[in-house]
Amino acid sequence: MTEQTPKMSARDVSVFYGDKQAVKNVSIDIDMDKVTAFIGPSGCGKSTFLRSFNRMNDTVAGARVEGLVTLDGEDIYAPSMDVVQLRARVGMVFQKPNPFPKSIFENVAYGPRIHGLAASRSELEGIVESALRRAGLWDEVKDRLSDSGTALSGGQQQRLCIARAIAVDPEVILMDEPASALDPIATAKIEELIGELRGRYAIVIVTHNMQQAARVSQRTAFFHLGTLVEYGETDAMFTAPRMERTKDYITGRYG
Amino acid sequence: MNSPLPAQADRTPTDWNAPAMQKRIARRYAAERRFKLFGLAAVVLSAAFLAFLLATMVSQGWRGFVRTDVALTIDFKAAALPVDRAVLRTPGADLALAGAELENTVKGAAATQFGVGGEDAISEYAWLKVREAIKQDPTNLDRAVRIPVPASTRLDQALRGDGTAEAQALAERLKAAGLVSTGFNADFLRMSDSTDPVAVGIWGALKGSLLTMAITFLIAFPVGVLSAIYLEEYAPRNRWTDLIEVSINNLAAVPSIIFGLLGLAVFLGTWEVMGVRFGPILPRSAALVGGVTLALMIMPVIVIASRNAIKAVPPSIRDAALGIGASPVQVVFHHVLPLAMPGILTGTIIGMARALGETAPLLLIGMRAFIVQPPGGFTDPATVLPVQIFLWSDEVSRGFVEKTSAAILVLLAFLLAMNSLAIYLRNRFETRW
Repeated sequence: MTEQTPKMSARDVSVFYGDKQAVKNVSIDIDMDKVTAFIGPSGCGKSTFLRSFNRMNDTVAGARVEGLVTLDGEDIYAPSMDVVQLRARVGMVFQKPNPFPKSIFENVAYGPRIHGLAASRSELEGIVESALRRAGLWDEVKDRLSDSGTALSGGQQQRLCIARAIAVDPEVILMDEPASALDPIATAKIEELIGELRGRYAIVIVTHNMQQAARVSQRTAFFHLGTLVEYGETDAMFTAPRMERTKDYITGRYG
Repeated sequence: MNSPLPAQADRTPTDWNAPAMQKRIARRYAAERRFKLFGLAAVVLSAAFLAFLLATMVSQGWRGFVRTDVALTIDFKAAALPVDRAVLRTPGADLALAGAELENTVKGAAATQFGVGGEDAISEYAWLKVREAIKQDPTNLDRAVRIPVPASTRLDQALRGDGTAEAQALAERLKAAGLVSTGFNADFLRMSDSTDPVAVGIWGALKGSLLTMAITFLIAFPVGVLSAIYLEEYAPRNRWTDLIEVSINNLAAVPSIIFGLLGLAVFLGTWEVMGVRFGPILPRSAALVGGVTLALMIMPVIVIASRNAIKAVPPSIRDAALGIGASPVQVVFHHVLPLAMPGILTGTIIGMARALGETAPLLLIGMRAFIVQPPGGFTDPATVLPVQIFLWSDEVSRGFVEKTSAAILVLLAFLLAMNSLAIYLRNRFETRW
């Protein structure tokens, strides 16, 4: 589909919860300078599939991933892969804003600190400032960095979580419905932010808001009942879907 | 897709103002009021019991902190004790004065001064007070001095109008002569057990409790919390961990005296293996063995409370930390444990309070000994506050009644101090969300 080598790719990936198969033989490539959106009705396996990109499914009891997922051609489920380092390279933003009950500064500084990315306090402060700037939050919080991260509004909390993810300088950012708990204004800010972050990071966003997928992404994958129905350029998919099921979904016939 | 609901023509519209409806509302309000009343009554009842308990203890116990002194005049010049004055400045003074029949001199002085039965007016340990006075100022030996000494239990009871006829008469005489004084009994907080209720003190038992609680905490808290972390965060869910969980829950309900038997058998027992005798592992009657036994008893409580606290930490916090590459140990120590700490400390308070009030298991491992010297360390024979209370409540002498209540007050104060410290720590850990 593209000439460049994909940043991440999945080949024949299946995810099981116990006996139930949530994702069925999905293959997909994620490119570096694109935003890829996963859309589909609730329970179609898009979030589960997303979580197999940074092995967050490992923490779910009974979850099992089959198939091959690679980051820069390296199998991330290989025994030699360090899962802690993988999650630093593949950051994640969750559906519900989940800042730590610590200060704003500590929220952002935590990642760089545990990975030893800053040699000195001033360097750490620099990392925190640039992460907050890139997350578009700096001007709002620069005077109250010692306030609790949980005291911010929902939209600010979510941008704080994005700042926390980019502070460890990841290569890929996975976003699991990052705006579904936010009001339209906060959602617009997050979407704007995603546009600004594109190019620096490979971004994968799960959403069930089709307009959002159309606005922020260049590639869209449509999932239904655990299978990947269609994957292609966003513009093409929303104007001329190849599959009947995709067409039904994006025109609102079901979902 | 959204077809309208079929019209319900057969159903009469609900009349919200009908008498039956009004009656239902009235019944609902009545039920509400009744429930509130029952709740209030329950609170008042428990508060009344608590107030009654405290009032009884304080009204009886305060006397335990008060001592009646009798001013005794002793003419040492006339008695001419055969004591080398130089020795009085040395550690040998105690022995020298005891050898010089000081005790009999003091008793004699009391008999002379107070008349027949006078030596019964002063406490058995009155001469020890005189000894202190002489050691402080050896020139006392060259003149007649007036020293307030503790009154005997007999006189003390009589002064309260609760003595024999002779004692009553003696009390009246002494009071009329202005020789009787009362004051705060600092010795009660300084001394240890004794056969004479006037001479008993709580310090030995208090120190024993402190040492025992220290051992209990140092063992039960880390082991309990680490077990809880392992079981919650690392252990796989299978039949074995289910079995462990059931066992822990059952252990928390095992009567405490069983733990005493366990401590006796394991720590104080002896075994003979191929002609070689082993054990006992720990010294008998000591704070060490008591602390270890109580630690075993409260560990299940701490494990259960800690597991619940750890379980209550929102999974989103774990996800957040894992999502930026924290290792499982970092997730536990940086995020889960700080958030679970208030709950863990609450469980620890409950466990420690239970351990502090425990008597039965300690009786079995020999902590009911008659301890005159406060324990110097963890391996010295010791007793603890509840056991001391139990022992005193068993005494025949009337003087022990108020001492028992006073000891209960000390135990309550200890409990309050311990809990306040724990609550203070818990509030410091508490995170605002």
